[in-house]
Amino acid sequence: MVDRFTSAPLELPGDDGFERADLIFYSIDHSGASFEARLFHDSPKADHTTTGDDPHYLGSFFIFGHGGCAGDPGHCDLPTRTDPYDLRPPHQLLPAIRVVTVTDQIKQLITSGQTTFTVTVVAHTLEDQPGDVLAFDTIRLATYADAAGGLLANA
Amino acid sequence: MSPAGSPSPPQPLVAVRHRRDARHLTKGQLADFRAAIAAAQAIKDDRGYQYWAGIHGLPLPISCTHHTHLFLPWHRAYLYLFEKALQDLVPGVTLPWWDWTATHALPQIYTTAKQPSNKPNVLLRSPIQQSARHDTADDVIWPAETYRQPGGGGALPTAAQLSAVLKNKDFFTFQTQLESLHDGVHMWVGGTMGAIPVAAYDPVFWAHHCMIDRAWYLWQLAHPGAQPPANLLPRALAPFSMTVKDTLDIADLGYDYAAGTVAATGPSANTGGHQHG
Repeated sequence: MVDRFTSAPLELPGDDGFERADLIFYSIDHSGASFEARLFHDSPKADHTTTGDDPHYLGSFFIFGHGGCAGDPGHCDLPTRTDPYDLRPPHQLLPAIRVVTVTDQIKQLITSGQTTFTVTVVAHTLEDQPGDVLAFDTIRLATYADAAGGLLANA
Repeated sequence: MSPAGSPSPPQPLVAVRHRRDARHLTKGQLADFRAAIAAAQAIKDDRGYQYWAGIHGLPLPISCTHHTHLFLPWHRAYLYLFEKALQDLVPGVTLPWWDWTATHALPQIYTTAKQPSNKPNVLLRSPIQQSARHDTADDVIWPAETYRQPGGGGALPTAAQLSAVLKNKDFFTFQTQLESLHDGVHMWVGGTMGAIPVAAYDPVFWAHHCMIDRAWYLWQLAHPGAQPPANLLPRALAPFSMTVKDTLDIADLGYDYAAGTVAATGPSANTGGHQHG
């Protein structure tokens, strides 16, 4: 777990012929404290003092956290279930997905001539909560011809 | 059929009940709602407030579904069944909704210290049962009573943000973006509302989730026919005896959302003069 993270460069589309652009975050951990993840492009030095007024600000998403484990050791370990006859509900801590729509900002980057961009994610927890809450496995930039939306079901 | 072979007398039609904006409750509606919460708090068994709050979080098992495909259906079933439990105590009572896009503050009925009767306001805070207060693994001790620290983090969504989320056509994208707004409100209220294990003990939890449920309803109205994929519809919403499909139409659940309602009894009513609309 970390409190901030900068991605590898993501390739931008060759033109702005799309109606919507989403940043999709996959496999987000939510076992710890609740947090807001603020997103900045091309700002590897962005930190907890960097605000939403920063010109590189892309938006944010929120995660309502479990605040730690309430059971005995092993209670919150994610099980690996492969049995097709296992009809129990999914584990509480299966990771989350978040979608942040960033259409205007991505179009601006393309217009300015950029071909790639990075995303820095800074996690903000409530006062008195631990800050190292950030864990996810993928960031994806998805662009769509339809302004109304993405299709997570097919992601 | 009756023994004589004539049809049974028809049952009177039961009107849907309205969930109302927390800012627009009449005095009678607010009194009924507070009476229902107070009565539920006084019951220590599985009809009571602590039992229902505990289903969402602690004591284990934590049954709420956050960050999954079932977020909206599960919470719709949860609110529906809690509201039914309240209606067993005060017939006709409904849960109010907190429009955080309009007020950008906690509704006043949840923040005043006293009720008009000068009793403590049961919507201000709630006890947290002993069995919910100890996280054994992390050795966290939750407080004996809910508390809030509004504005310390998170955010209350704006009308523009909610409107943008409602424009999504795809259920999963809509649900995921709405859940993010929902998460920000939990953080904004702060205190015990900011953590899944104890959030539902705070009385304002229900008003917040009514707003989330209302947003789903508004999305359904804006996108006729849009719904979760077919393979999700038979999924059970444990521990409740409802499936995703059961939650899709709030008309089937007997409620609707209104900014406010008023009513008066007619000449043939038999309500003992008690009618709160």
